[in-house]
Amino acid sequence: MNDDYLWDKTGQPDPEIQKLEEILGTLRYEPRPFVLPRRRNYFPLLAIAASILLAIIAGSIWLRVRSGDEVPRQEAKLESPTPKPLEAPQPPRTGSALNPPLHASNRIRKPRSAPSVVNDEEALAAKEQLMLALRITTEKLSLVHRKTQPNQIKNQHRIG
Amino acid sequence: MYATADMLLTSTQAHAAEQSKEPVIEVMLVRAVLEGDRDSFGRLYDLYAPLVHGILLARVPRAEVADLVQDIFLHAFKKLHTLRDSAAFGPWIAMIARNRAVDFHRRSKETVEINDDLRGSDTHDSKAREILELIRSLPEAYRETLVLRLVEGMTGPEIAARTGLTAASVRVNLHRGMKLLREQLGVMEGL
Repeated sequence: MNDDYLWDKTGQPDPEIQKLEEILGTLRYEPRPFVLPRRRNYFPLLAIAASILLAIIAGSIWLRVRSGDEVPRQEAKLESPTPKPLEAPQPPRTGSALNPPLHASNRIRKPRSAPSVVNDEEALAAKEQLMLALRITTEKLSLVHRKTQPNQIKNQHRIG
Repeated sequence: MYATADMLLTSTQAHAAEQSKEPVIEVMLVRAVLEGDRDSFGRLYDLYAPLVHGILLARVPRAEVADLVQDIFLHAFKKLHTLRDSAAFGPWIAMIARNRAVDFHRRSKETVEINDDLRGSDTHDSKAREILELIRSLPEAYRETLVLRLVEGMTGPEIAARTGLTAASVRVNLHRGMKLLREQLGVMEGL
């Protein structure tokens, strides 16, 4: 048996091995193109998701601000008719000359001033929340953009 | 019977240059793939597909081999970052192929033989399949080396370089495996 031919195909060929090579060669690997799966680009999906999230946050904040504005208006409408009926019947019931007119006017004015301050604070808080939400969303979008950007540049470079 | 130390040394020296070139290419290609160059993986595939094909052919039905080769390279592509030594791509993918063959038999033991029996019966092809079956009946260490040598047409030094086995082991496996195969063929012709 020729060891060299079996080992590295050098030296005198061994007819039996050559015959085996010929027969078994039909089973040899036939080159097939290897197709790698396409790299998935998640940026559009993330951008859409972030946009939807942003819209939901902005919408909820807007609704909250709007509903906060509407409540004091209703109170104001209710308050306006009440002072007149209250002022008229109360003085006769108490019967004192010192208290009635001043107390009545004070009672009406206090509720008017209090909601406006509260409304302003609520509006400011809502505005801050909105700004914070917008900032967070912007940061997230820019983070997503940064993560995906190098791959795109590489691809562009390779294609170019 | 056994390859002598002198013979092994001579053959190792004679093919040192050939063996040393490949790991360099391997390392470059693996690094390029890890850096994002997907085309380099295609070159690794071209280099190592015959090895993986041979390893599988020695273990699983021929009809399943082509798909398994693709699966193994896909798996290798996904897990390439876990390869610590870039020069060891060949032994690494050879091990993946061997493990995948074991998994294949664990999952679909019964369907395997049926697939082979149902294949076409071209005389030359049937002769090849008969001899392949004989090789498959040999001990595992011999069958892989013989398939790589006789089917895939790789030389002993190439088999050693790509599988990570020592040249001495490959030479011994080839020699003993060929002896056993000759005996089996003699029995087959005698029948």
